[in-house]
Amino acid sequence: MRVRIVAAAAFVVVLAAVVATSGLASSKDQSITVWLQVDAQNGWPDVVKAANDAFQQQHPGVKVDVQYQTWGEHLTKLDASLAGGDAPDVVELGNTETVKYMANGALADLTSAKASFPNSKTWLQGLAESGQYNGKTYAVPYYAGARAAIYNIDLYKQAGVSTRAPKSLAQFLANGKKLMKKFGGNPNFSALYLPGRDWYVGLSFVYDYGGQIAKQVNGKWQGTLEAPQAQAGLTELKTVARALSRANPTGDEAHPQEALVFAKGTVGTFVGNGWEWPYALDPKVGNPALAGHVGAFPMPSHTPGKVMPTFLGGSDLAVPVTTKNKQLAIDWIKAFTSTSEETKIALAGNIPNTTSLVKINAGKPTLGPFAKAAEASWFVPAAKNWANVENANVLQSMLSKIISGHASVASATKAADAQITQILNAS
Amino acid sequence: MADLGAVTVEPAATPAPRLRRARLGRALAPYGLLLPAAAVIGGVLGYPLYLMVKLSFERYGLFQLIQHKGQWIGLGNYRQLVHDHEFWTVLLRTLLFTGVTVGLTMALGTLIALLMTRVSAAMRLLLTLALVLAWAMPVPVAANIWYWMVDYEFGVANWLLTTLHVGNYQHHDWFVNPWQGWGVITTLIVWGAIPFVAITLYAGLSQVPQELLQAAAIDGARPWRVFKDITLPILKPIFVILTSLSIIWDFQVFTQVWLLRDERPTSDYFLTGIYAFEQTFSQSEYGYGSAVAISMVLILLGVTFFYIRQMIRIGEV
Repeated sequence: MRVRIVAAAAFVVVLAAVVATSGLASSKDQSITVWLQVDAQNGWPDVVKAANDAFQQQHPGVKVDVQYQTWGEHLTKLDASLAGGDAPDVVELGNTETVKYMANGALADLTSAKASFPNSKTWLQGLAESGQYNGKTYAVPYYAGARAAIYNIDLYKQAGVSTRAPKSLAQFLANGKKLMKKFGGNPNFSALYLPGRDWYVGLSFVYDYGGQIAKQVNGKWQGTLEAPQAQAGLTELKTVARALSRANPTGDEAHPQEALVFAKGTVGTFVGNGWEWPYALDPKVGNPALAGHVGAFPMPSHTPGKVMPTFLGGSDLAVPVTTKNKQLAIDWIKAFTSTSEETKIALAGNIPNTTSLVKINAGKPTLGPFAKAAEASWFVPAAKNWANVENANVLQSMLSKIISGHASVASATKAADAQITQILNAS
Repeated sequence: MADLGAVTVEPAATPAPRLRRARLGRALAPYGLLLPAAAVIGGVLGYPLYLMVKLSFERYGLFQLIQHKGQWIGLGNYRQLVHDHEFWTVLLRTLLFTGVTVGLTMALGTLIALLMTRVSAAMRLLLTLALVLAWAMPVPVAANIWYWMVDYEFGVANWLLTTLHVGNYQHHDWFVNPWQGWGVITTLIVWGAIPFVAITLYAGLSQVPQELLQAAAIDGARPWRVFKDITLPILKPIFVILTSLSIIWDFQVFTQVWLLRDERPTSDYFLTGIYAFEQTFSQSEYGYGSAVAISMVLILLGVTFFYIRQMIRIGEV
């Protein structure tokens, strides 16, 4: 390990030493580097291609090098490249990750160019806020996502479960138990496939019961998962997961991809993003035979008739301060977030970045439930250090301990609160 | 004669400077030969180490990273380290883990080495082959094989334990309970470390004089007594070297835990090395992470001291 640390330090140093020379070289050659997350590669590769074509028509001869990153490690890579001065010209950041980079001066100020971005007057407010810091704009909204329950119609029918959206969490649990009774003999069957570390779904239970992750009191952050409301939500989560799920309590939503487990036909329901539905049917990795046998509904609240708040996930596009091609980077973002490309992104199962397009999906049976789910949403605390809580796996660790029964709700939330309070208040 | 005279006279005429130059040259030559190696080590190890020491005295977060300029805070990071409850937990866990893995490696390695002296040549060849294959397996490959063996859904371990009616291990998650998880990791580390110990000790055992062992046997000494009073004292230097090397290796375990835990270990699975990496790259606390790493280096220097002292003693014999 010592070798590894030393090697990492050496890596940073060498990169730093190279800055001056490579900086001069890259200002001449006409190419820009774009870091996008793998979601675009899986879900809407045609949009990336169309944006590159449009960009190259405007700037003939300029190459676009799109590199796909995974969520687990893209920030570590970004930090190393920022230190080395060879950071990409455009980078996609999750809407929970932007604050840390804006606050530390890593992103270029785009305020003066804001008006020139497509639909900037009608940007989705929640998403646009994640790109603003101290009144300035540092990131452009890309797309948002809401999760809904995606289910296998055939299995529901065979188990005698109504395929209409359940009215309450209690009804959802009862339906799931019927499914388990019918198919539970197969040890790999889950009525609800819910990996323990899927904190986007797990924390939705907390917000449904009126709890929250943390709050600010007199300028100091405080973890609030020990509060009775939060504990009630987590207790309910444990009940649901233990009764309906045989997913790995220490696994997460991406190892393996939930949609692909669902595609195998041994899962009644999973809570996923809109793009995961078509992904499950993808002939290359999923199961096209399921087409027409899949439905979706917003996760029901424990309060009958209401919808459980969903995590408002999303992504922004930003330009690191190290870029030598700021204007080219801005032009590429404009091409990528144009009305026609955002329409395609919406049709791929996402919430587009502008309110002027939100209605596209409302009437569609495949996308409507996700739009409806987004009506009630929750978001992480707006703290400068929030990304560090995610990186430290605080919530994931707490959830897998609760769901596996390795720790009580009370002790797991206490430990998590202590960590959250410490990380959020670190200078 | 003139020639001869010249030859005999010349050294007498300028004896001192020439001889001194030759002696000086001879004395400097080894250092000259060492220079390239020293320069490489200084460049790839010394300089980064110097930078890491410097970082550990600085406040160096994401902001400083982008500015390429740290802020000197003296012993601030180390003061924080002393009061960091998690650091002490992790350090204690690392020491415990090192103790268990080194103990198991040495005990099992010795037993296998002793076994190798008893079995037939063909069996010995087979055993050596198996050991070398395990030794030659790259760590990431080994970790991935273990990963699949203890997989939640498809793992052969769960299948085997269920089939053998040890219990219902279907969908058993080996990493929910950290003790079990560390059990899996310990097996992987010990499995990977045994070959070197066993082969080295076997080589050592073959150097123990047979007459001594036979004499002891004739005197009626039992095998344990023979091992304790004859083999062990003779092989002590090898044991000391192997133990200190094992401590150095096991103390800095990183890759195996990292891969087995999906590259996102939770705090139950932190060792000192992983903690340093997490502080540095996940929390963007480059200065503090360096302080953690430096503390590791200092602890390992202590172990290295024993190792080098033993090496020098062997050299003297």
